[in-house]
Parts: sequence; C-alpha cells; structure tokens
Amino acid sequence: MRRRIVPAWVGLVLLFLSASALSIAVGPGGITGAGMSSVMNLRLLRLALGVIAGGVLAVVGASLQGLLQNPLADPFTMGVASGAALGASLTLVLGRTAGTFAPVGGFAGALVTMLVVYALARVRGRVTVTGLVLAGVIMSFLFSSLVMLAMILGRRTLGEAIYMMMGHLGPVFTGRTMWLFVAVAVVSIAGCAWLFSMSRSLDIMSSGEEAAETLGVDTQQVTKTVFVISSVLVGMVVSFTGAISFVGLVVPHLVRMLFGPEHRRVLPGSFVAGAGILLLSDVLARNIVPGGLPLSIVTALVGVPFFVYLLRRRL
Amino acid sequence: MNGRDKGIEGQRDRVAEQRIPALDPSIPRSLDPLPAGTRTAIELSGLSFGYGEKLLFAGFNLDVASGDFLGIIGPNGAGKSTLLKLVAGLLKPSQGAVRIGKRDLHALARREVAREVGVVLQENPFAFDYSVRDVVMMGRNPYLRRFQSPGKRDRDAVNSALEFVDAAFLRDKRINSISAGERQRVVLARALAQEPGILMLDEATSHLDIAHQQLIARILSQLNRQGKTIVLLSHDLNLAALYCSRILLLDRGKAVACDVPERVITAELIRNVYGVDSIVTRHPQTGRPQVMLPGEQPAGSG
Repeated sequence: MRRRIVPAWVGLVLLFLSASALSIAVGPGGITGAGMSSVMNLRLLRLALGVIAGGVLAVVGASLQGLLQNPLADPFTMGVASGAALGASLTLVLGRTAGTFAPVGGFAGALVTMLVVYALARVRGRVTVTGLVLAGVIMSFLFSSLVMLAMILGRRTLGEAIYMMMGHLGPVFTGRTMWLFVAVAVVSIAGCAWLFSMSRSLDIMSSGEEAAETLGVDTQQVTKTVFVISSVLVGMVVSFTGAISFVGLVVPHLVRMLFGPEHRRVLPGSFVAGAGILLLSDVLARNIVPGGLPLSIVTALVGVPFFVYLLRRRL
Repeated sequence: MNGRDKGIEGQRDRVAEQRIPALDPSIPRSLDPLPAGTRTAIELSGLSFGYGEKLLFAGFNLDVASGDFLGIIGPNGAGKSTLLKLVAGLLKPSQGAVRIGKRDLHALARREVAREVGVVLQENPFAFDYSVRDVVMMGRNPYLRRFQSPGKRDRDAVNSALEFVDAAFLRDKRINSISAGERQRVVLARALAQEPGILMLDEATSHLDIAHQQLIARILSQLNRQGKTIVLLSHDLNLAALYCSRILLLDRGKAVACDVPERVITAELIRNVYGVDSIVTRHPQTGRPQVMLPGEQPAGSG
C-alpha cells in the first residue's frame, strides 16, 4: 500500500490539472474570438467555484463517513443541504433581487437546519452519531418537500427548483456576490484544514465511539466539531451551487482505494479528486445538451456505475 | 462513607460491608485483601448510577489493589459492563466518586485516563480496513499532540505490544482480514501500547476458541506478574477461577461476594445468584474451583 502513494498523488494531480484545463478551454463560446476576456472571466470563476465545491463536498463526505462509521454517509446525510436549498428557494420566491440574496438565504437555511438537527440529536446532554444521522435524514425529507411546496406556491418554474436541488456551477456573480464567494472560498479552505487537523481522531472513531473514548479521544467534542464545520461548509457551498450529489459519497471511496483508510491521506486526496471530478462533470454537463444539464444528473450517471463496481468488489 | 478519611481503616470497613450481606455464614471471611501499605489502583466510593429512573448501583463501594487480578462475574444484567464503563469514564456516576490511583477520574482529561486505563471491549468493529500496525498505533493517541507524528518511542511501544501478544507477524495485515482470535490480540496490543497501569477486559475471550482463550489468559497472567492491575469481566466462571486472584460476584448492582476464587465459586453462591444447581470441584493441578452443570437425568429416573 505504502509504495503506491506517490503514483496515486501524481494521478490525482494530473486528473485535477487536466480537468481544470478542459474546464477553461471547452465551452459554447470556443476559446478565441471577440469578447473572449469576459468569457474567460466567467470560466475562471466557474473553475474556482468548481474547485471549492468539489473539494469541500468530498472532504466533508470523507469526514462524515469516518465520524459516522458509515461508508454510505455523504454531505447531505446531516440534512443541511436540503435546508440550504429551502432557504435559497424561499429567497427566490419571496424576494426580487434573488441573484444577490439566494446564497444568503441558502446559508441561513443551512444554519437553521444545523441547529434543528443538533437539537433533535441531543439526548441527555450527549450528541450521538446515530442521533445525528436519524435527525438529518428526517429533516432532509421534510425540507425537500418544502422546497417543492415553496416553488409551487411561489409560482416559480420547475426548472429553477430543479437547478436548486440538483446543482449547477453557473451562478451569476455580481460585484457583491463576488466578495461573498471570496469569503466562502477562504472559510472553505480553513474548514477543510481544520477537519484535516482531526485526522487521527477520525481514524480512531472508526472503531466505535466507546473504543475511541478509551483511547483518549473526546468523542463528544469531535462529533460536535465535525458536525458544525461540515454543516457550515456544505451550507455555504450549496447556497451557491445547489445540492450536487454523489461527489461527497463516491470520491472518498475512490481515494481510500488509492491511499488506504487513514484520514491524513484521504482528506487532502479527496479535496483534489473531488475538485477534479466535479470540474469534469461540469464540462460534460454544459457541453452535452445546449443550455446545460443539472450537475447531479452527470455526477449520478458517472457515480452510480462506479459505486456499483465498488460494492460488488467487496461482496 | 464516614470512613472516607480514615485511610486504610476506612477501606477495610467498606470491603467488609460488601461481603456481609449474602455470604453464606459457613464460609470463613477472607483476610483483608488490602493490607496496610498496599497501593489502591481503583477505588469506587458511594457510587450510584442508573440508566433510567431506577438505580442499578446505589452507594456501591469497591477497592482494587494495585497489582490485583480481579475477575468480575455475575448474571446478565448484573452490572458488570456498566461497572467497567464507570471505571473507564465512559459513563458518569450520578453520585459518588471513581478514583484511579488516588486521582478523581472526572478531574482527568480523556487523554490522561487513557494513559492509566486500557480497555478491551467484546466487539471491535472497524468501519474501514486499517492495517494492524495502524490499529495498534491508535493506542499511542493519548501521548501524541494534535499535529505530532508518531516517533521512535511510539513505534517501539507498538512493536513490543505486538510481540507481547504474539502478533508481530500480523503487522502488515489488514484488520478486517484476520481471524477473530487474532483481532482480539491486536486490540489487546492496542491497549498495551497505551502503557496503562490498569487493564480492563469486557468478555474479551467469549467469542474465542479454547486455544485463544488460554493464550489471552496467559498473556494477562504475565502482564499481572509484571505489575499491571487486571480486571477481567467474564461469563466463564472456570476461566475466572483459574486465573484471577480475586473474584467479585455481582448481582443486580450488588456485590454478593468479593474474595479469593475458593470462597466465591461455590455451589451455594452460584445457586443464590444464578438460580442453577451446579457441581463445584477442585482443579486437579491448581486446586482452584471449577464449575460443572449437573448431568440431565431422564424423566422419572431420580
């Protein structure tokens, strides 16, 4: 396992670089011609958003799979993504300057969901991972229906709701949201670094909460910290991109196949692989069909066969 | 509880109190197991705990001397695992104190507790397939700061722990690809890598074949001779009687007896606590008590 680590890193970085190059080079506008600088600006922004979104979703997915000792956990297990989608939808339905405020509404929705899930999971002063999963899954269902309800009552087109719930990398950045995005990028990197600093605790948590306690891990503190960081990061990203599925579920498994299960390798590897895979999916999504596809359609089309392959390998 | 400040005298009183209630008067009381000058490894005083409204333990007292090999036996629901979790700090008593080597458990950080007490649980699932070496290295966690990588001292501790449990050859194997007996040895090695003074095992041998049971029990005896305090929770009365120097018999949160095996493993006490008739014989080599169930008689023959 050990000697495969360098080639694996080389592979991941190459994947990331080629995905970035494709993301900039390929698109309906071509790569030369009039008005190219504004097209390039748009594509660079899209690239930046793709890197942050893909990286954050994969790192959060890997952290939650470790924390919850559950290989099927993903960034949306905790319910925050559907809360963000609900917040953004409500902003769209209620406000006029939706372009500016949808991310703010989304983030507010994510924070409210985080508090609700946390409160539901807290029993006699302790937050258990089982409690977090149950509360998160339940709130996910509730908020997903509320998104549709808000969209229907607000007489919005189904198209907008679908992009909100299935993800895209094409939000329009005006001057104000641009700064918001810069802030999100900085916080995302910091949050991922914080999760990385908890690698050893996450490793130990994978042998169960009680065993981890006897090994000197403050599991309550780890659970709460990972939950809050994950929720804030996912809330921020989903507010911009909508809920992009499968990246946070599949990428950590791919990286574990390359590096083994230790989080100090899996987390940075997931960031790079998640960014690369999301950029590739975006290239496909906006070039297969004129006008572009919601991203989750592509990530699912790519992710499901890979996941089936993974599961069958284990059987 | 008033004896709290009287030092060894107080401990004697509490130990005595516990033995009185259900002991058969025909069985002589043992000498005080904590003679003056003995260090106490674990001290529970006035401990109360319950999962719901009802208390499982109410004012429970127990002293375990440093270097003791204590077996804890009792029926399902007697509170064995709960007692272990209280001592390991996994559960918090509603009243009373747990002291580990005279220090109050709940004043210690988790990392400090993990340097004093190593625990082997019955079930040790691993969600991801770590290497055996990585699993044992987890035992060094209480000594490593957040960003500190394991050093030579840690690698040495891991290697000698693996060698001690005769599992060095498993070093590069994956934890989910080895047998149950091997896995339990690896988890024991992880606890040894913590370099604790106290080692507690919760039914750590109950899934294992007799060869592995004997291997683990012998490893524990050897550790005990090196001065470690061992607390072994077991449903296997014969294993406990063979290897433990003292046995605590628990029943619904009460200490029915806490004494040398000869005075605890008796047909009388087993009937009182487990509600079964049994035949208690002596081990032909060691003289330790061994329990057999009576043979089933065909109906009407007796």
